[in-house]
Amino acid sequence: MNCARLRQVLDAWIDGELDHATSAEIGSHLDSCAACAALRRERNELRAQVRNGAQYHRAPAAFESALRRRLVAAADAGKGPRQRPSWLQAASLALAAALVSALAGYWIGGPAPDSTLREHVVASHVASLGNARHLTEVASGDRHTVKPWFQGKVDFAPTVRDLSEHGYVLQGGRLDHVADRQAAAIVYRVRNHVINLFVWRASGGDEALATSAARGFNLATWSEAGLGFAAVSDVDVRDIERFARLVQSGP
Amino acid sequence: MGDAGKMDRFERAVLCHLDAAYNLARWLTRDEAGAEDAVQEACLRAFRFFEGQHGPSPKAWFMTVVRNACLDWLKEHRARAVEEEFDEEQHGAGLGGHEQPEVAAERAADARWLNECVAALPREYREVLVLRELEGLSYKEISAVVGVPMGTVMSRIARGRDLLQQRLLEARRRKRS
Repeated sequence: MNCARLRQVLDAWIDGELDHATSAEIGSHLDSCAACAALRRERNELRAQVRNGAQYHRAPAAFESALRRRLVAAADAGKGPRQRPSWLQAASLALAAALVSALAGYWIGGPAPDSTLREHVVASHVASLGNARHLTEVASGDRHTVKPWFQGKVDFAPTVRDLSEHGYVLQGGRLDHVADRQAAAIVYRVRNHVINLFVWRASGGDEALATSAARGFNLATWSEAGLGFAAVSDVDVRDIERFARLVQSGP
Repeated sequence: MGDAGKMDRFERAVLCHLDAAYNLARWLTRDEAGAEDAVQEACLRAFRFFEGQHGPSPKAWFMTVVRNACLDWLKEHRARAVEEEFDEEQHGAGLGGHEQPEVAAERAADARWLNECVAALPREYREVLVLRELEGLSYKEISAVVGVPMGTVMSRIARGRDLLQQRLLEARRRKRS
């Protein structure tokens, strides 16, 4: 590999798009060529600058709700006098129903979770981020490693799922507390955000999934089968809700 | 009701990428109202054609629909569609006016400058960089969204970064002098 060739493929290499053999050649060239190594440093700096500095334009909330109304209307229009295949009619109706219930969910938000519980969950989440070594006591992306690790440490079997195909990558787990209760904390990562999923023994009955926010973090909480669940992160509320539903239903 | 599951999938596979759609549309149209128009149109199209979608991922497929809606919007608003040459005078003066000793102010000016530089890139480079750096799409996915071969994606990303780096260096040099 010479310098000219390296410069053609450097970006693809940085993006992790090259095969092993070529990557190895590039690696050894960079070890021995100061000019190319400097170029790579510049590129990494540029990428960090763009990722951190370029604005990420999120869809405004008002736009989103107007859009959802528009989609419901479009689905309704499909039921008009024009002859359409019946599956599409059914689909339109189902979409309308799905959107209406989604909207209801957004507006009503379900029962507000106990604000003290919320505070405790956020406190444990923040504490776990403060020290990278503390984030996971068992570090593994394999649920068959993470789940058994809790055996004998907590008196229940926490839900540990592989959700990597949905973008939520398992990082591991640790023992933690939510308020005064011992909890299993399962750690996931989505893009660059950490999600803590706390699971503990709950005494009350089942509670439907509800989302809420506290101190700038988004939470999804629910309980089922004698276990309380709280997912918390600084990701968008839609991301945390989607995550929670995946934990509930499996991938 | 099998169709209810299908609609649930539409929500999960398409609408969950609404922010990504809006972000791409905002960078492509460089216009708030344009982004909203294009994303709304894209969602309606996505709903209609969702059944027959193929490709590397639902997100990439939706991004393709969004990009096409943006290109349509740009065509309709021809005046804006013209790739404006980067106005050194205007932007250079603007930056100079904001130069202040406080680090925070300087950082804000840097961020503003970075955003202006990205926005000023020709569309073919801007779109691949936004899809790569802000949306984290793979070259294969970008190739599907933009409709060009992988080799072209590779060279556009490299060239796009070259251009961006040049412009940021010019800015730094101007600031020092």
